[in-house]
Parts: sequence; structure tokens; C-alpha cells
Amino acid sequence: MQCSAPSLRMFKSSKVCTVLIDLSGTLHIEDYAIPGAVNALNRLRRKVNVKFVTNTTKESRRVLHERLHSLGFDIEKSEIFTSLSAARSYVDTHKIRPLLMLEKEAMEDFEGVGTSDPNAVVIGLAPSCFNYSKMNEAFRMLLDGSTLIGIHKARYLKKKDGLYLGPGPFVHALEYATGTQAVVLGKPEKAFFLEALQEFSCPPDQAVMIGDDVIDDVGGAQKCGMLGILVQTGKYRSKDESKIQPAPHLTCPDFPASVDYIIDNLL
Amino acid sequence: MATPMVAGWLKFAKEIEGIVLDIAGVLYDSGDGDGVPIPGSIEAVNRLKASGVPVRFCTNATETTRVNLVAKLNRIGFSLEPNEVFPPAPAVCQILKERGLRPHLLVADDCKPDLAGVEQHDPTCVVIGDAAHGFTYDSMNKAFQALMQMEKPLLISMGQGKYYLETDGLKLDCGPFMKALEYACSLEAEIVGKPSKTFFDAVLKDIGISSDKALMIGDDVVSDVGGAQACGMRALLVRTGKYRPTDEKHPTVTPDGVVDNLQQAVELFLSCRDK
Repeated sequence: MQCSAPSLRMFKSSKVCTVLIDLSGTLHIEDYAIPGAVNALNRLRRKVNVKFVTNTTKESRRVLHERLHSLGFDIEKSEIFTSLSAARSYVDTHKIRPLLMLEKEAMEDFEGVGTSDPNAVVIGLAPSCFNYSKMNEAFRMLLDGSTLIGIHKARYLKKKDGLYLGPGPFVHALEYATGTQAVVLGKPEKAFFLEALQEFSCPPDQAVMIGDDVIDDVGGAQKCGMLGILVQTGKYRSKDESKIQPAPHLTCPDFPASVDYIIDNLL
Repeated sequence: MATPMVAGWLKFAKEIEGIVLDIAGVLYDSGDGDGVPIPGSIEAVNRLKASGVPVRFCTNATETTRVNLVAKLNRIGFSLEPNEVFPPAPAVCQILKERGLRPHLLVADDCKPDLAGVEQHDPTCVVIGDAAHGFTYDSMNKAFQALMQMEKPLLISMGQGKYYLETDGLKLDCGPFMKALEYACSLEAEIVGKPSKTFFDAVLKDIGISSDKALMIGDDVVSDVGGAQACGMRALLVRTGKYRPTDEKHPTVTPDGVVDNLQQAVELFLSCRDK
């Protein structure tokens, strides 16, 4: 499969200095690394800053880091920026005491956060919290003025045995009940991408996002001024690239191909 | 006692030939056990009925069957007949039969008898009601998966209320859970119950009056007041049940009048008609 040629007008005048990389579906699929991805990442690292960005509401950075490490990727825990990290940072910045509607595995990223007398509701994908009592508790807090924070707002996710509701519908239910709008933190929110770039002081027009989700990865990144590269692995389905306007800067077979393209054309 | 708001609606009291009352938050506050009558409401309903004005009860209650709801209200002191009470479930049952639909039910177990007699295998729609503690990730997921498997996903919702008041506080109604499924499946639910026009129309037809001769009294500014007004009825908001002061400054709905409770509404209404 060939890379589809990007239109010339979309080439950048300034050189790329940072590349944000999605994890699941882009570097690996469950317990398998995408062939050639480990070496491709090492090649890319020598040229630019990298950061790994992912929408997760149930896996802490430690868990993600251990998985990637076991697949052979040379990645530091501090290089992983997730929607949970964004939520943690939001909670710290705004001095919020959250009611955390999260599963145990995700709680690790909120160690040390004060949760007594809460003034915000933080929602991730937490099946054990999506019951009537807990939803009512959150609802009453929101009516009393607490802030609603959605770690991300995905409608559903695909597991091996079918489709399952994501956190989005439950965030939406509370928005409707209280007539308020949630602060949403993960991809495709602009603030998420900008925060990921912050450490490198890298303006968005010198950054690239590589991912398999045309809307959350590529569309979101391009809306905040980055270049988006869509890889045809993971959740990619035929013609996904036509779902956004403007189209992805580049659609290519896999992560190694995207690295070759960046090194050859954008540096 | 008569505030300017009250005086305004009394001007049309003489034109009213039928009254439609909401139940929860107007007659009583639901909660553990049978709930508690709102002070003055039992006498108010009795006086209204004795005056000869036709009265019907229009509710989005789906936590139990019509017969059990009436029995519960009568246990706490009301005197209602099942044929005066209009909940959504019997209306949904009729729709399912007419259209040959097979439902996947996400409703309270106690409501299911009102939906009995309809085929449920290989569902062609999801019917959602106030399932209360029946709303879990698992039950929501099953409804979601059922919708995603349908050729043309159809969600029928018994009302779309946001919340209601029980004796121990505000509780989420079925609306938020309906919205969750709408969002997940990118669809729009079909509403049976208030504020749908067909639902109000069925009640008016039963009384035998046109909408401009009917007065609705409820505690839900959107579903009761806004819904009735959209059908051409007059509507009063009571300051009981789920009422919150901000309801009087609602951006899109302005009640024809606001009263402290059903007792005050009935007193003013009857005194004005006697003149």
C-alpha cells in the first residue's frame, strides 16, 4: 500500500520539532507491537521530541508503561500523557476536590488528591460507578454547583466480544439532568494537545500527531494547528480519511511508514 | 394571599371545563413505602371532583402499573379510579401492538405487567422508563447493544423528565438515561408521555374538551407546564415537589400562573367560579 500524497499547500514552512504518538492501534494492538514500530520509534527519537498521548480512563501511566516496555518499546513513564494525566493536572491547577467516578486501576494517577467535601465530579469509564445511587450522588452535587469533568466523552468502545458503552453517555446524562456542560479533557479537545506540547515549548504548527482514530487523533490535532497523520492500523476502517475536513495531512499504512515520511519530508 | 401572578390566571378560570393534574410532586411526594400526601392535596382533589369539573391525572410514572399506582394513592388517602389516571405504559403497550414492535425493556419490574402480552424475542425497539435501581452499566449496555443490532434502531421513552423529588431528595428520572442511549447510538428517542402532544390529546379526548378549555397543574416547568401550553392548554406551576425557584425564570417556559400548592390553586379556582 502506498502513502497517499499530501497536497503541496499543506507542507510546512517551519520544521517539525515534536511528534505526538497514539498508543493502542498505532504502536501496538493488544499484546502485539506493530511490525517495525520499535525500530521506527528509535529512528524518530534521534530527530525530534516525542510524547505518547492516549485517551484512557482506566489505565494508569504505570500500567501503560509496563505494557509498552514489555513489547520492547524504549519509553519513559514521564513521556506518556493520557486523558487521566490531563484530568490530574486540571484537578491540581484548579485546586479541585473531586468525587472520582473511576475504576481502581485508574485511581493511581490521583494519588495524594484530597477528596473530602468534594466540589467536582470526575467521570471516567467506571462500570462499577454507573449505578443509580452513584449517579444520583453525582447529580445532586452538580445541582449544588460542583463542576462536571469528563475524562473523555467516547460514545462506545469495541472489545473482542462486541460494543460497550464508553464514559460519554454517562457524562451526557448528567449534563442533560443538570443543564450544564462538562469540561472534557482527553482527545480531541484542543487543550489536551496543547498541554502535551507544553513541556517542549513547541508551537502546534511545528508538531505532528500520529494516530489510528481519524476524528479524535487526526481531526483534533489538525483543529489546533498541528499536522495529522492517519495510520491504517488498529481501529482504522476503509475511507476513514474522508470523514474529516480538511483531510488528514497524510494517510499511510502504519507507524513505520509515517516515521519514514516525517524524516524524509518534514525535518 | 393573591399575588399578581395568581390574579393573572384567574381571568380565564371561568373558561376552564376540565383539569389535568400531575401526580408526583402535586398530589404526593413519592419515597420509601407509599410516600406522603402533600398537605391539602387530598381535600383539594375531593373538592374539585365534588364541584363537577372533570378531573384527570396525567403522569409519567412508570415505576409501577396503573392499578398499583392508584391503589398506593388510595392507601394514603386519595380516592382515585384507574380510568382517571393516564400513565405512559398502557399507551406504549397500545403503540407496540399497533405497530407490531417487539420491545427490549429497560423499565422497572413493577411496571412490566402494563406491557405484558407483547412479544419480546428478537427485539425491534427498546422501551425505556424510570427503572431507578434497574439502571446499571450492565442494563444500559444491554439496551445499547440491542439498539446497535437493530436494522433501524428505535428507542421509545416513557417521558423525558430530568429528575423528581422523593422524600429523601432529588432522584434522576428516565430522561438522562434516555439521553445517554441517544448519545451512544446517535439517534433521537420517540417520547410517549408528557410533554408529547399525542399523550395530552388522549387525556383531553377522554374528557371530551378542546385544549383551550383545559388547565394543567404540575411541578415540572418543562414537561407539565411547557408541554401542556404547547398543546394549547393553560398551565399552572406549583411550588411543591421538584419545584425550584429558578423554574419561575425559565428561559423558554412562562407558566400562566404560579401557586404555592394544589390546595391554593383549587381554592382560588373554585372561589372565582362561584362568583
